[in-house]
Amino acid sequence: MKMEHIERPELLIIGGGPAGLSAAIVASNHGVRTLLVDEGVKLGGQLVKQTHKFFGDEEFYASKRGFEIADILVDEVKRSPNVLTLTQTSVIGIYEDAVGVYDRTKEKVFSILPGYILVAAGASERFLSFPGNDLPGIYGAGAVQTLVNQYGVLPGKRFLIVGSGNIGLILAYQLYQAGADVVAIVEITDRIGGYEVHAAKVKRLGIPVLTNHTLVRAIGQERVRGAVIAKVDEHYSPIPSTERELVVDVICLAVGLVPSVELVMQAGAELIYVNELGGYVPRRDFRMRTTVDNLFVAGDLAGIEEATTAMIEGKIAALTIVEELRNLDLSEEIERLQKKLSIFRSGPTSEKVRRGLEKMGIHYEGVSFQNVKQTPGLEHKLKPVIECFQPIPCNPCETSCPTGAIVVGDNINNPPKIDYEKCTGCGICAISCPGLAIFMIQEDYTGNRSLIGVPYEFLPLPQKGDVVLALDRDGNIVSNAVVEKVIKSKNLTNLVYISIDRDLAHSVRQIVMPESKPASYVCRCEDVTVEDVMRAIDAGFTDYEELRRYLRIGMGPCGGRTCSSLALNLLTRKTGRSPYELRPQISRPPIFPVPFASLKGGEEDEG
Amino acid sequence: MRDKSIVIIGGGIIGASIAYHLAIMGAKNVVLFEKNYVSSGATGRCGGGIRQQWSARGNVRLAMRSVRKFETFKQELGWDIEYRQGGYLLLAYTEEEAESFENNVKMQREEGLHVEILTPESIKRRFPYVNTTGVLLGTFCPTDGHANPHLANFAYIQRARELGVEVYTHTEVTVVETSSNRVTGIQTKRGYLKCDVLVNASGAWSKDVANMAGSDLPTESYRHQILVTEPVENFMTPLIMSFSKNFYIRQTLHGSFLMGQGDPDEKPGINYRTTLRFEKEIATKLTTVLPFLRNMRIVRHWSGHYNMSPDAQPIIGRDRNVENLFHAVGFSGHGFMLAPAVGEALAEMILTGKTSHIDLSDFDMNRFERKLVKEKNVV
Amino acid sequence: MRIENHPILRFSRARRFVFFFENQPVEAFEGETIAAALIANGIDTFRLSLRHKRPRGLFCAIGKCSSCLVEVDGKPNVRACLTLAREGMRVRLQKNRGVVGVEDGAH
Repeated sequence: MKMEHIERPELLIIGGGPAGLSAAIVASNHGVRTLLVDEGVKLGGQLVKQTHKFFGDEEFYASKRGFEIADILVDEVKRSPNVLTLTQTSVIGIYEDAVGVYDRTKEKVFSILPGYILVAAGASERFLSFPGNDLPGIYGAGAVQTLVNQYGVLPGKRFLIVGSGNIGLILAYQLYQAGADVVAIVEITDRIGGYEVHAAKVKRLGIPVLTNHTLVRAIGQERVRGAVIAKVDEHYSPIPSTERELVVDVICLAVGLVPSVELVMQAGAELIYVNELGGYVPRRDFRMRTTVDNLFVAGDLAGIEEATTAMIEGKIAALTIVEELRNLDLSEEIERLQKKLSIFRSGPTSEKVRRGLEKMGIHYEGVSFQNVKQTPGLEHKLKPVIECFQPIPCNPCETSCPTGAIVVGDNINNPPKIDYEKCTGCGICAISCPGLAIFMIQEDYTGNRSLIGVPYEFLPLPQKGDVVLALDRDGNIVSNAVVEKVIKSKNLTNLVYISIDRDLAHSVRQIVMPESKPASYVCRCEDVTVEDVMRAIDAGFTDYEELRRYLRIGMGPCGGRTCSSLALNLLTRKTGRSPYELRPQISRPPIFPVPFASLKGGEEDEG
Repeated sequence: MRDKSIVIIGGGIIGASIAYHLAIMGAKNVVLFEKNYVSSGATGRCGGGIRQQWSARGNVRLAMRSVRKFETFKQELGWDIEYRQGGYLLLAYTEEEAESFENNVKMQREEGLHVEILTPESIKRRFPYVNTTGVLLGTFCPTDGHANPHLANFAYIQRARELGVEVYTHTEVTVVETSSNRVTGIQTKRGYLKCDVLVNASGAWSKDVANMAGSDLPTESYRHQILVTEPVENFMTPLIMSFSKNFYIRQTLHGSFLMGQGDPDEKPGINYRTTLRFEKEIATKLTTVLPFLRNMRIVRHWSGHYNMSPDAQPIIGRDRNVENLFHAVGFSGHGFMLAPAVGEALAEMILTGKTSHIDLSDFDMNRFERKLVKEKNVV
Repeated sequence: MRIENHPILRFSRARRFVFFFENQPVEAFEGETIAAALIANGIDTFRLSLRHKRPRGLFCAIGKCSSCLVEVDGKPNVRACLTLAREGMRVRLQKNRGVVGVEDGAH
């Protein structure tokens, strides 16, 4: 029974990202024997690496974080009796006689003969050519997201990001969350590629987004030690006189995605080049069917877009397959989803996708949106200020508002409107907004001070009474501020209320903890911090010599002059043992580094 | 003759070698048309082996001449084509096969080819990575070898261009104009071209081209599949092959292992798809013969076409119906290795009416009316 | 460097163990790939490139670029980004195309 399910599924879904998982759920609900295979250790595709809340609407998990959406979808798939999932399994080819599937855990290739195939294999990252682009320390943005958000491993301390699309912007924010420095984002065009709200989040952390700039070359012999960037002219050529060096140890390339069309190509489906969709994409119809009758596509493979549209596409493809397999009429549900898709794609952020799909004969109407004028007034009242000016398909502010004060309306791309009469100032919208674009403001708080509530997703979380630094939209420090209250949220977007000078109420949009990254070094040679020593002691290195071997304290050129007493001090404090019990660092010659040449006999003596 | 307009159809290694040899022999007016790109057909998809151990005498002669030319290829053309004379090790697994190997070696030695007959024990001693279970004997010709087919193809094309040959890629010959059993011109998307001699070097499409010119050929194209592993450090010098077990495998100088097998069930026609069955069969078979392959990874698998003739030997020479039409087709999977000698001989034939090293009468298309001597040493 | 505290994510680091890279012990946690564990320990050169012998490390992290090939327990060309670290495994910087262990053919 199980082998039958693996070898002859009615539907084979390749790729367990948002598109594939959504399709599997639909297929399973209609009793279709479905096999879903994915290369990764975990299902969820790119969702598992995303820590930010997603845009979109409730049906498609808006305001949930990417990895949470993955959990929800995966749970549902795992509960489905009709779906069998194989992870760490790569489809190696769609051959003439079978689909070849390699299970890495068993190190075994299976032949599969599916009735229908849905390829939802996503995309791969573009590479960039510049001198030194092969050095260790240069990563695709996706690789860094995997390391940081899946394994909790930071591949460096100071990052440069190339590309200001949503991936570059989101990565910058994620790196900041993980405690790294993002030195800059360079963008070769004259405008930021990603959503304005993502850009705003990054800017107010003080991360510069340098438009009209490019990476010229990586510095470093054995790994990245820095980067040279420069302004570009109107032909995107670097202007030599504007070159400057940045000290970074990681360069992340976030310069776009290419649909992974290898398999559909092998299956014989026609490809067409559509620049707006990411390059070569399979030709497909409204129902996601390619030019091969039983081969469907969905998600980034069908055109680079985002998770919500991938989920809808996956569902449409699955419903179409179910219709054929079970001889059902599901056109009503398909039409509902089509409509949803067309509304999603009607906004200005989907303009490129619309143009791309047009080339395939798939037409979506664009709608123009008027910016909503904010009418704060009501200075005595605590209320949200919604700084969401770019129409994007998103509505959690509306759906989360308990009093119905915020309205997005029929078209999900509409910028939200707020009725301050109905608003109670609860702040739920600010916590729900995936773009962190809603702030709470009460201009008249006490005396000449205002109360500002900012969404906060970093560690450590400030406490009431803390003095923090207040930053403006561009990340400039404008003043100190006192934390008045902290609303902890289950969705981990906390709301920190600060009081600041009234004049600054409309400019402060971010706070940071003063010296939020304390660099109390014990050993300068090897960059060993107090925290490192404490952690090492916790891990069981309670003898000084052990600490030294573990942390290399005292092994640097300084010979332990600065560090040994500090380290011993920490050891005493932490373990309660007196310095008398502990032994000092063993001293070894030379206690000052000397060159070989200085140790051989001088020429004068020989002469 | 050297000023006559000679048109070659096909930019694989055969067409390229003919073009090059015509040019160095002084032909002034040679144009080559390739409908796709250089080495897009069988050359760019082939195994790259260079073998002299054949069962048909004509093939042995042609191959021996080719090896002479491969040996001096680098000096002559100035291109390093990753040529290596590591020998071919042919393994016999049945009594019948062993007997025919011994007969073949006798004939090959008569032609002056140095071939050894090896016992399983000496195979084991010389090539310890071979599992000799079931092997009755092996034959080994140390001057056999292999090269990189792409590089060889490009070398001929580039040198031909430098010598004045006009090479047009992505230019299909769509019409062959004839008049009283002579080709008078050809048509491509670039326009009409008068021609005095037309050379059919179109590989898998040989029959189509012959038909366009008002003749016919007894050739059919059959798909063959090949796969290659990721590279590792070089250690396996010979190409190892078995007819009864149906495989060949070599390690390229770059380090990859490249291998293939035939499929008796294959239907004629152009088909570029690949089968999972091929991978499974070849993996099963070859990990037994060469156990070290177990830890290696396949990285690519593709297919190309053997342009088969009825006796699995090439058709080289003048068409019997159209007098200024020449063929160099039907190589039955062995065109790459024969290309240097074929290019030389056919160029001589076109320009002077005779050949200096090879008797092309063994390969003319009239032989199919006579009794066929089928080449048996084919995978 | 391992992230110890994160405002949104929790990293379950249940079982700690040691494997070896170039004969030096490397700390890893169950579920980590070789690449993740090496990078957590500050090791980011995994191989030397074939022609120019350039240092190469992780790049794509999804088994697509061959930048991270290492030798594991004598087997060359293992993708560090996809292969889970195992206790005691011996990983080596891959300096060439990899040497295949040629077993005795007769078995």
